[in-house]
Amino acid sequence: MNSDDLDRILDNAGRTSPDATTQASIAHVESTVLSDLHPVRPLAPLWIYLSLFLVLFVVVSGAAGSILGLHGLHVLTISQFILISITLFAVASIASAACAREMTPIGSQLSAFSLIAAALAFPALFSLIFRGYGTTSFVSQGIPCLVAGLCVAIPAALLISFLLRRGFVMQWSMAGLAAGSLSGLTGLAMLELHCPNLKAIHVMVWHVAVVIVSGILGFAIGRLADHLRHSSI
Amino acid sequence: MDADGYSAKMRMREDSKMPARSTPEIASSPGLEALMRRYQQADEEAARALIQAVSPRLLRYFCAQTFTRRFADDLLQDTWMRIHKARHTYRPVEPVLPWVFAIARHAVLDNYRKSRRVEIREVQVDELPHTAYQDAGAKKSEIDLDTLLAPLTRNQRDVVVMLKIAGMSIEEVARATRSSAGSVKQKAHRAYQKLRDILAPGKGTA
Repeated sequence: MNSDDLDRILDNAGRTSPDATTQASIAHVESTVLSDLHPVRPLAPLWIYLSLFLVLFVVVSGAAGSILGLHGLHVLTISQFILISITLFAVASIASAACAREMTPIGSQLSAFSLIAAALAFPALFSLIFRGYGTTSFVSQGIPCLVAGLCVAIPAALLISFLLRRGFVMQWSMAGLAAGSLSGLTGLAMLELHCPNLKAIHVMVWHVAVVIVSGILGFAIGRLADHLRHSSI
Repeated sequence: MDADGYSAKMRMREDSKMPARSTPEIASSPGLEALMRRYQQADEEAARALIQAVSPRLLRYFCAQTFTRRFADDLLQDTWMRIHKARHTYRPVEPVLPWVFAIARHAVLDNYRKSRRVEIREVQVDELPHTAYQDAGAKKSEIDLDTLLAPLTRNQRDVVVMLKIAGMSIEEVARATRSSAGSVKQKAHRAYQKLRDILAPGKGTA
């Protein structure tokens, strides 16, 4: 048997005309669907949701940074600020695109990519623009940054999940990963505005940890949501 | 046809943006987008036409997942309930079939998980009772297709059924399965290779 024979078998299977049982099933579907038919407004285009997620990222991080104090912004040079802003915006755009795509059943492959991009891009960037690898007070200075970053990530995640619920998420684990990454980036952006500690080791470990922890937590919560949904089916 | 020949055939189909199989049913596919838009506006005729056009393909897809006919009917109901709840997420510029089959694929996965949970709890009997439903539902073409696709992995079966039985293009299958076009081509190629190896004279199970 060659590929043409296989094609023929599969084509014949595809051409089978619906039998009586099929028609009965379809009629049942029809009656169920038509009994609850009302107009719906289609989801806004992808770029609108992508923009909304980006606006949310900018507004929440900017507001939190302003409330806590822009001490970090004052000690950054112009070039450092521009490089960090460009990288943050680029990775946040990927995470926003992932969130926007997860709102439809088709989803995307960007969710994991956004977290990996953040975990690789920021340590590389910080190692280039900052100096200082001394570990004096490494943990005692790092924990408050991690906690502050996560505290900002939580409200951001709640707002993102509110937007996500406008769509129809099929895989909450992947949507949680994307939302967690974006909210973690919000926390990271706030820390860059607020934290005056520019030691490379501090920024590379504790600031980036906010994105990684947030992404993993988002994935875990999404996975739990999926599990609960499957259990209730 | 050898592996290179098959890859070239797939490339040609993708390059020309043609569906994998050309039948009168598939030829009407562009109309599905218009029907879906009208379905969103609560047009009864469009909803009916869309259900009539898409359901047979969904049923074939479910039957090919080695489910019994009754499971396939349940899955069809479940999938349409999900389609109905998610219909606002269809964006008018996008093709309908990948959107529908992404939902169907999740319905299959959820059903698989559910059946796994039930299997753990249920008590096995030595022999299943013979039912009249089995006689009525067991059509020859379904048995042939089940037998043919049984050796394939779940992902390979998904790809082959969507490409060859649902008549979707490689790009559409890639969207429905959250993978790349290259990955779809690779899975289809491996599935065909496996089927040809199994069905070759002297090794056949069919």
